Amino acid sequence: MASLVTYLAVGLAFYWIIKYMIYDEVESRLKVEKRDFETYIRQHDTWTNNSYFVENKIEVYPITGNFKNEVIFKDTVITNRYEGNEDPFRQLTFYTLIGGIPYRVAIRKSMIQSYKLIEAISAALITFLGLLMVCMYVFHRRLSDKLWQPFYDTLVKIKDFDWTQNKKLELASSEITEFNELGDVLEKMSGKMQYDYKSLREFTENASHEIQTPLALINARVEQFIQAKDLGKDHTYWIEEIYHASRRMSRLNQGLLLLAKIENQQFTDQEEIDLSGQVESKLRDFEDILSHKQIKVTMRSQGIFRKVMSLSLADILLTNLLNNAIKHNLHGGEITIETGNRHLLISNTGHPLKADPESLFDRFKKESTGAESLGLGLAIVKQICDNYGLALDYQNRENIHSIKIS
Amino acid sequence: MKILVVEDEKGLAESIVDYLTKEGFICEVANTFWQADEKVSLYKYDCTIVDLTLPDGEGFGIIQTLKKIAATTGIIIISARNTLEDKIKGLEIGSDDYITKPFHLSELNARVKSLIRRRHFGGNNDMIWREIRVQLPSRKVFINEKEALISRKEYDLLLYFLSNIDVVLTKESIAEHLWGDHIDSSDSLDMVYSHIKNLRRKILDKGGKDYIQSVYGIGYKFSAS
Repeated sequence: MASLVTYLAVGLAFYWIIKYMIYDEVESRLKVEKRDFETYIRQHDTWTNNSYFVENKIEVYPITGNFKNEVIFKDTVITNRYEGNEDPFRQLTFYTLIGGIPYRVAIRKSMIQSYKLIEAISAALITFLGLLMVCMYVFHRRLSDKLWQPFYDTLVKIKDFDWTQNKKLELASSEITEFNELGDVLEKMSGKMQYDYKSLREFTENASHEIQTPLALINARVEQFIQAKDLGKDHTYWIEEIYHASRRMSRLNQGLLLLAKIENQQFTDQEEIDLSGQVESKLRDFEDILSHKQIKVTMRSQGIFRKVMSLSLADILLTNLLNNAIKHNLHGGEITIETGNRHLLISNTGHPLKADPESLFDRFKKESTGAESLGLGLAIVKQICDNYGLALDYQNRENIHSIKIS
Repeated sequence: MKILVVEDEKGLAESIVDYLTKEGFICEVANTFWQADEKVSLYKYDCTIVDLTLPDGEGFGIIQTLKKIAATTGIIIISARNTLEDKIKGLEIGSDDYITKPFHLSELNARVKSLIRRRHFGGNNDMIWREIRVQLPSRKVFINEKEALISRKEYDLLLYFLSNIDVVLTKESIAEHLWGDHIDSSDSLDMVYSHIKNLRRKILDKGGKDYIQSVYGIGYKFSAS
């Protein structure tokens, strides 16, 4: 499109330039003739109107009354005496005195040759430019097909590249230096990505190990300590506090590590999971606590919600959602689980929400100030949903809180 | 009963050994992979407790060696790695149990005892303590030879107590033993209380004595004293 516009613009420009140059030439010749005419008049002070020839025709007319002494160029058309054609002429009109009488003098020059010239040049130009354009187009097509082939190959390979796998990115070398350089840079970058991912993963695991081991030691020592028979009331209280704090810390550590692992997409196993069935079997694990809190559970199934995801993550997702629905429930409250082909909705009765619903899924945002709550459960839920492109929606109507996954 | 504890963290190894020794086991410690490898090839153990991450090797290696030379040894993995893959790998390679750090010593003790019971008696024996007799295969409990009808969780609770006689069990460790770590709400501690209340009542109903002592603020102890 752009080349077509350029093509037209260049064609027009050429046409105007040639036309301007021809006019300039004709006009300068007309001016020379005018000077010859004036020299002749000055010497002879007379003119015989001999207007037989078409070319170089000079017309002299006497005029009466006022006239403006001006020199005018204009295009005109004169009928050919023999063929009856109308031929284009360029005419120079000026006024002069011959023998004391004012005359209007018109000198003409035929443009017929010049027009033919313009036409020929324009036609040649348009043809050549058109040919050039077609050639350029074909050449470009072939060039991009052949020249860019290695680039497209690279692109396909990058799209398929998965840095969580150990398979290295290997690009075929091409004849083009730039693509080879690009390939080298990409290979280096992908190598670094895989290395960083691996070390991050190792770090996560090592950090987990390094922190859990001293915590295990604290726990073990406290457990041994409480076996002592002569503990005072104060001591038991302190020990209990230490014990609680270390349990809490280890759970916090585990929660944060889990979040980091989900964020790093380290759960790569995938299978199709029937979330509706999964939630039902999960409920059995919660039987005791449900009967303890006298919570009534209603299942409403309108379909089976299937999703391809990691089994461990699906399990964590449902555990956290159910845990949340139980923890924030009232004694003797209700839980409604609704499953459809495209969604899972868990709603529970509970106290009205005090915090901002937007921040409900943020880390360490907790509704209850109870020390038992870590404030990570729903953040983990959100992270899992984000990983699998599931929409997470919270709604609160009166005392019913609903979380919908779709 | 001989137990080998393979754990590089000396303090933790010491705690485990102290606890299990009090329970009547003979314990040995290996702090490194090579130490463990040597001990495993030289002596015979009834149970081996293996940490997966050792300074000079992976615990998996020891398990493989054990499986080759002493197939009857029970193996329990203790590890900070809590991914499903590690657990599956551990069980596939031939370990009998997998406990994630940090764990309760009482829990480890209960698992060791349960493993030894399974290994040596095929789970076909009764567990008798004073007037309480637990029929393991049928999961029945008899007090003074009269059957006490107890729920599944109460049975688990009683077995946990019987594995840890005279030991203070924290409420948290009981809750975790009964429901795993997926229940993290404070309600679980209330539930522990109600289960203990029920178990105590059912034992008393059949003419048993009240062995469950409450230890202020911390937990409970099953003791005859």
